[in-house]
Amino acid sequence: MLIALIILIPVLLLILSPFVKKTRTLGVINASGYAALLVVCVLFLKTFLAKGSQAVSLWGWVYVDSLSVFFLLTTAVVSFAASLYSIGYICTEAEETKISGRKAGAYFQLFNLFCFTMLIVPLLNNLALVWIAIEMTTLISAFLVGFHNIKESIEAAWKYIIICSVGITFALLGIIFFYYTSSRDAQVKSLEWAGMLAGSGMFDPKIVKLALIFILVGYGTKAGLAPMHNWLPDAHSQALSPISGLLSGVLLKISLYAILRFVMLANLSIGYAYSARLFILFGLVSLGIAGAFILIQKDLKRLFAYSSVENIGLVSLGLGFGAFGGIFAGLLHAFNHAVTKAFMFFCAGEAVRAFRSNNMNKMQGMIKIMPFTGTAMFLGLFALVGMPPFSIFIGKLLILIAVFQGKYYLIAGLTFFFIALAFAGLLYHVSRVILGNAPQTMPAQKEPLSAKLALLFLGIFILGFGLKIPQAFLHLLENCQLLILGK
Amino acid sequence: MILNFILSGFLIITFLLVITKRITGLIRAFRAQSIFLFLYTFYQGFTQRNLELLVICGLVFALKALVIPFVLLRIVRRIKAEEDLGLIINPQLSLVIATVFAYLSYLFAHNAMPRANSPESAAFIASLTAVCIGFFLMASRMKALGQVIGLLVMENGIFLAAGAIAGGMPFFIEIALFFDIFVFVVIIEVFVYKVSRLFTHIDTSKMKSLKG
Repeated sequence: MLIALIILIPVLLLILSPFVKKTRTLGVINASGYAALLVVCVLFLKTFLAKGSQAVSLWGWVYVDSLSVFFLLTTAVVSFAASLYSIGYICTEAEETKISGRKAGAYFQLFNLFCFTMLIVPLLNNLALVWIAIEMTTLISAFLVGFHNIKESIEAAWKYIIICSVGITFALLGIIFFYYTSSRDAQVKSLEWAGMLAGSGMFDPKIVKLALIFILVGYGTKAGLAPMHNWLPDAHSQALSPISGLLSGVLLKISLYAILRFVMLANLSIGYAYSARLFILFGLVSLGIAGAFILIQKDLKRLFAYSSVENIGLVSLGLGFGAFGGIFAGLLHAFNHAVTKAFMFFCAGEAVRAFRSNNMNKMQGMIKIMPFTGTAMFLGLFALVGMPPFSIFIGKLLILIAVFQGKYYLIAGLTFFFIALAFAGLLYHVSRVILGNAPQTMPAQKEPLSAKLALLFLGIFILGFGLKIPQAFLHLLENCQLLILGK
Repeated sequence: MILNFILSGFLIITFLLVITKRITGLIRAFRAQSIFLFLYTFYQGFTQRNLELLVICGLVFALKALVIPFVLLRIVRRIKAEEDLGLIINPQLSLVIATVFAYLSYLFAHNAMPRANSPESAAFIASLTAVCIGFFLMASRMKALGQVIGLLVMENGIFLAAGAIAGGMPFFIEIALFFDIFVFVVIIEVFVYKVSRLFTHIDTSKMKSLKG
């Protein structure tokens, strides 16, 4: 029942949106829809936990276990914040006549389609349908990346479609290998989750190992793991800011969800150690590359995009040390990063609008011209680099503890070094934007109420999860950890 | 025998793709490859008396041999693109590289498949070669349409791989995949028009405003 609502809400909003002419009204309706969606997700979490976290399968199409609920919740939180932030953002863009009223309506339709495809990924039972839904997220969000129809954004959208489609085509080859061994060795002639998992003990280890590489490279492209991350800084910096938040916060994690599903299938035939080594490899490469690029960045939104590569690398590293509690830490970090990065992109969106530039050399003294957003961004910066008492600190700490418990001191040392690079780069670049003297001619800027509300909403999670993580959420994460390790 | 003929045809067309220098030539080669894919699926469906496979082969023909080449040729006509594909690697060297890909696919298939020298393993080798060559086309052709066709060739290869090693995917998954490819081509068409309008060319090697 609740699951049906989760699927229905974005669809209803999508159908409704062409009938509402006024942009602001449309935005408010949209945001209230996603508020309802969030409430439904939280209610669903409650009933799910009350029933002892039993996997639910419905109508043969839907399969929900702890992992799905976790990703569903992350998506719901960030998409609500993005819908809230969109109201002010799109209205201001419309007032400044950057976009017409019709285009604003198109924005909300695309927004709903995009959220719909992301929300159904964790719900789908069939792994090939998951693949199709993920490909659809690319195709739809490409329009949101190239929304302004200027050279830069179209170039970014083109790269985004092509690179992600190639990546995901490799993932399809991986799926076919999985299907091959499952139909030949386990006699399971379908790609449905429960059947495949039950037969996964009989899979041919050689083929599973091959398939897993294709899966990790393929979905890893979409997840933003280096060295397949080239599309990410372009797409994230050119997308509209609410969408940048969604891309960084949710889309990357949704691909991670698909990877985790296949890792779970591989567990029974080849064990977790093989997947763990791949995760560690990609994690370290991502951390290193992101650290270097963060230092030399000039563009504010690209800076945050590279920081996403860094954080997805950390999550991957955590997953690599899954035997030492790293999965719990990795998923916690994935959630914390989702809310914090969305928060930072929303702040960056306001800054870019005020200064009319992405170039950090042209941006100074943000705190003077936009006191609320400037302060929020300053606090968010400390949260993002991993200072206590904010939530990212805990996730990072737990990941590092997992690495140390695995006694891989070289990897731990490298991780520290790369994190330090990113720390220094982010702190240096962003604090210059926030502090310093604002240009003399620049008047104080209007800060839309909806943006403030969105920032406050995400701020609750950033600070709250740093101080105390709710029991239900901890419980959910522990269940995910057990599921992924196959215990 | 017939299967060998079809698969050889598929492979030869795949090699033809890398020596083509013109965009329309590439599109026609892609169409020919799709027709061999259709013949392969039709043969399988006919010999196995499998209605689902026959439906799928009909869709392969309609979508990959008719609709997609038509859309691509229409794009070429509308944007009045130059015919030159913008080869980064010349045809001779491309052919050598393609041969290496075919040999590697052969080694790979022999390692992964228990029954060597069967028609399935031949189809698997041809399909992997097509995937590699598709990827190679994407990396070594500068024009946006070259990249799109590279991706479609990869998709053809994967389709053949699914048929070769797993006897085809479940029916409705195949249908969903066709839908996905169709949406992909439609959206790509929109974006190619946008690129050609804004940049006045579709040369991706000249798209350099985003760096670092």
